[in-house]
Amino acid sequence: MAQPTVSRKTYFLTFLSLLGLTLLTTLVGFIDMGPFNTIVALLIAAVKASLIAAFFMHALYESKLVRVAMAGGIIWFLILITLTISDYISRNWS
Amino acid sequence: MANPAELLLREQFSTPVQQRETATFGMWIFIMTEVMLFGGLFLAFTVYRLNYPQAFIAGSGDMDIALGATNTAVLIGSSFTMALAVYNAEIGNRRLLSLFVILTMILGFVFIGIKFTEYYMHYREHHAPGVWFNYPGPDSGHVEMFFVLYFLMTGLHALHMFVGEGILTAMLIRNAAGSFSAEYHTPVELTGLYWHFVDIIWVFLFALFYVEGLHLHKL
Repeated sequence: MAQPTVSRKTYFLTFLSLLGLTLLTTLVGFIDMGPFNTIVALLIAAVKASLIAAFFMHALYESKLVRVAMAGGIIWFLILITLTISDYISRNWS
Repeated sequence: MANPAELLLREQFSTPVQQRETATFGMWIFIMTEVMLFGGLFLAFTVYRLNYPQAFIAGSGDMDIALGATNTAVLIGSSFTMALAVYNAEIGNRRLLSLFVILTMILGFVFIGIKFTEYYMHYREHHAPGVWFNYPGPDSGHVEMFFVLYFLMTGLHALHMFVGEGILTAMLIRNAAGSFSAEYHTPVELTGLYWHFVDIIWVFLFALFYVEGLHLHKL
């Protein structure tokens, strides 16, 4: 019998962590933390996305070539956001 | 007897492993083009969010968190069943593969159902952008922009869900026809990649549209 890439136990733990983090982000969201509401929400979302990519999408188990493709997409997205925002936040400084 | 994977080896590939890696690489490249597609909308959201923080948090405060959080849990559940479908494809259990694909499809339709219930509620509350849009206060136009982006981004996501349901249907038919085995199941794996990616997009949509303005809700 073929060896599966990821065990059922790992999938289940990933699933439980994702549900836990969804509950956490919802509960923490009710607290007014000023600008940190957005930061915490995005941080938790990034952790959830990493868990999905690492275990559900087998990112941890893929070849270097595939990882370069992933990194390329993410870095491109960060360039898009960073350069555009650096323009917008540096306007109207008078 | 010939290895079934050998029989499915296309002539441009040397080995089944190379064939699988090529397909997986191609799927990841496609997913990265999807990152660019959604990326433009995320960028638009970020720019408007920075320019009109009050209006965007106010708009987010009008979301139904119960439906949003439930939908997030439903979608995570569908990713879990999809992962188990891939697991059963890998060990060659075709019956459980079909079962988990069907469960994934059902959860996907539950998600779409809840999403469109929300759309209907926004429409009833005059929060759908257009001539019927109505929001009290001086920020009305900027809150409308929040809802424009909300409908565009969750709408594009919902469109991806429909496409995913179609791909899952195709996988179900191919599995019933006996196309998949422990040796050859790459299409199921790639379907999983697509489905999980759509899940990741939703995780960020949930954070930006639902969680950001939660503290404005009255408990």
